[in-house]
Amino acid sequence: MRNGLIFFTGLFAAVLLSWAGIVLSSHAQLGKLTPYFDENEGKAFPLRPSGVAGQGQLVYDDLNCAVCHTQQVRRPDFGSDKARGWGDHQSVARDYIYDMRVQLGESRLGPDLANVGIRKTPYDSEDLLKLLYSGAGTMPPYKFLFEKRALAGRQPSDYAMKLRGDLAAPAGYEIVPTARAQALVAYLLSLNQAYEYPEARPVQPAAAKEGEHK
Amino acid sequence: MTTASNEVSEIDANARFPLSLLIASAILWLILSGVLAILNFAQNLSPSFLADCSWFTYGRLHAMQETAFIYGWVATAGFAVALWILGRLGGSPLRSLNWTVVGTIFWNLGVTIGLIGIALGDGTSISLLHLPDYVQPLLLVSFGAIAVTGVLAWTGRQHRATFAAQWYAVAALFLFPWLFSAAQAMLVWFPVRGTLQAVAAGWFLQGAWTLWIAPLALSAAYYLVPKISGRVIPAYDFASLSFWTLLVVGGWTGGRHLVGGPVPAWIATIAIVSCVMLTFHYAVTAINLRGAFGKSSISLKFIAYGVLAYVVGGFADAATAMRSVSEVTQFTWVSVAQTQLANSGAFTMIMFGAIYFLVPRIANQAWPSASLIRGHYIAALIGTTLLVGSLVVAGIVQGRDLANPATSFADLSAHVRPWLLAATASQALLVLGNIVFAIHFARVVVAKPTVTAENLFSQPPVMEASVS
Repeated sequence: MRNGLIFFTGLFAAVLLSWAGIVLSSHAQLGKLTPYFDENEGKAFPLRPSGVAGQGQLVYDDLNCAVCHTQQVRRPDFGSDKARGWGDHQSVARDYIYDMRVQLGESRLGPDLANVGIRKTPYDSEDLLKLLYSGAGTMPPYKFLFEKRALAGRQPSDYAMKLRGDLAAPAGYEIVPTARAQALVAYLLSLNQAYEYPEARPVQPAAAKEGEHK
Repeated sequence: MTTASNEVSEIDANARFPLSLLIASAILWLILSGVLAILNFAQNLSPSFLADCSWFTYGRLHAMQETAFIYGWVATAGFAVALWILGRLGGSPLRSLNWTVVGTIFWNLGVTIGLIGIALGDGTSISLLHLPDYVQPLLLVSFGAIAVTGVLAWTGRQHRATFAAQWYAVAALFLFPWLFSAAQAMLVWFPVRGTLQAVAAGWFLQGAWTLWIAPLALSAAYYLVPKISGRVIPAYDFASLSFWTLLVVGGWTGGRHLVGGPVPAWIATIAIVSCVMLTFHYAVTAINLRGAFGKSSISLKFIAYGVLAYVVGGFADAATAMRSVSEVTQFTWVSVAQTQLANSGAFTMIMFGAIYFLVPRIANQAWPSASLIRGHYIAALIGTTLLVGSLVVAGIVQGRDLANPATSFADLSAHVRPWLLAATASQALLVLGNIVFAIHFARVVVAKPTVTAENLFSQPPVMEASVS
């Protein structure tokens, strides 16, 4: 390696090649992915999330929730994702096309959240706010997303948390979720990958399809 | 290759302040990230710990700890060692060191602002790119300023032929800005669509390791192992093939974390194949650097541990990339253990060895205490081994529990808890060792040379050998 120019060209080519090979070619494959229009339902999927849910994603991002929660369901025969009730079919790229910052996650210290908006256990915004306020098991509480306000003779707010026991606000006070907490909950409730795209259906004769990728 | 006169040449003398500044900042960042890591582990054991303070909520603390480690410790320690090696092998004193000093100050400023930004909620959730968008350009410019010295040392080298240590150092300094700015552009400034972000993030994550962090460590190892042991590198002819394998194949391992994920399957498949191909590089590295093992020099003891961790980690990466293995280990503490093995095991240990070797030469001052070095070595050895070991066990327990749908998350965390406790303790041990290191380093820098350089280095190996 005597020639510096060739050396540097080689270095640069090495990075460029891997970037082109992985990022650019998957961009060619996925970059123009469109919503899927279902004629029976008369709707295009995925559904576009509401503006509040979009704000909630920013809260999810800055609190770095993805350290403990994934948002990707693996296919039914790969891991226990389906058996745990996290989703009936695998997540596909199309599920994420409206996400400003995709939160696939790197670790499962807590459950997967890809379908948390349609959990079987009744999960409404009140439950989720309570969970955020009190924490559960290994999940820390997020009390800083809530505000403790003196009632000072006023009526309690419509949004005041209905808490019991140790968590209840002291007399004369109320605990109200901040706009950030409400946005986060709206985001969580918008997480829904129930719609099964054609590409999410399990491939029947696995051997035949594998060969095509070569 | 070296003579005693090399040991006191003016190549090292003028680099004293800039390199000491880099090393001092590196050690402080390392201790800070260690302390943050302890707090983060403590939150796993007791979730409500510091939870009411938004600055230190679990996710942000995790991001701060990682950022302090990578952009604090790895970057500055890597700079110090790479610049010193390029100067030494370039054969003339380092030039434009003012740029390095200014760059270091702004780099540290950038990382500090970045950490505060993460604490305030301006950070991103992208691994290794948690820094808020407003400091990333500052870091890029500072990186350029620091690297000027390295570029000049390369272009102004006395010999046209180059050594493996130089290839790795130059590759690390040259490629990081490209990687970093490409990742910023695709993920922060103009985010690509949907899960392409995950693909780009994976490419950056693996690229940062294979094209920046690992080359920095290898540069130090390739320079110091033959130098201290006094033996030529065995099978050196293969070193260049091994170098290009790492560089060309490394970036393709980006899909390693996306096995079974919502991306086209070929991305994961290419990553698995690339991880397996990289085992050639790891095998050659093990053969090339086998001179590090079984020597009495304390620098080489650190480096030997690092080389072992590097090679074991490489084969572990290939094994866990396999679909049948990653079905269980993906999303668990096993991935954390692998990162720790690479960062704390391979990179950090090799850097410790290099710093113990280079500081007396730039400071013209022997380390005051052999037992402090030995204490640091023992703390680092036990701490890193225990940390990685307990995280691997925690990850396997977690992976098995996750695979069994009947196990609730409450049970899972109870099963993992003792292993996380062990990991917390080993992290504390690591921090303790690093504090010893910091105090020792401060003593070298502050003290005035009492021995003339000729007397200090008349027998080069003495400083390393004196410890054992």
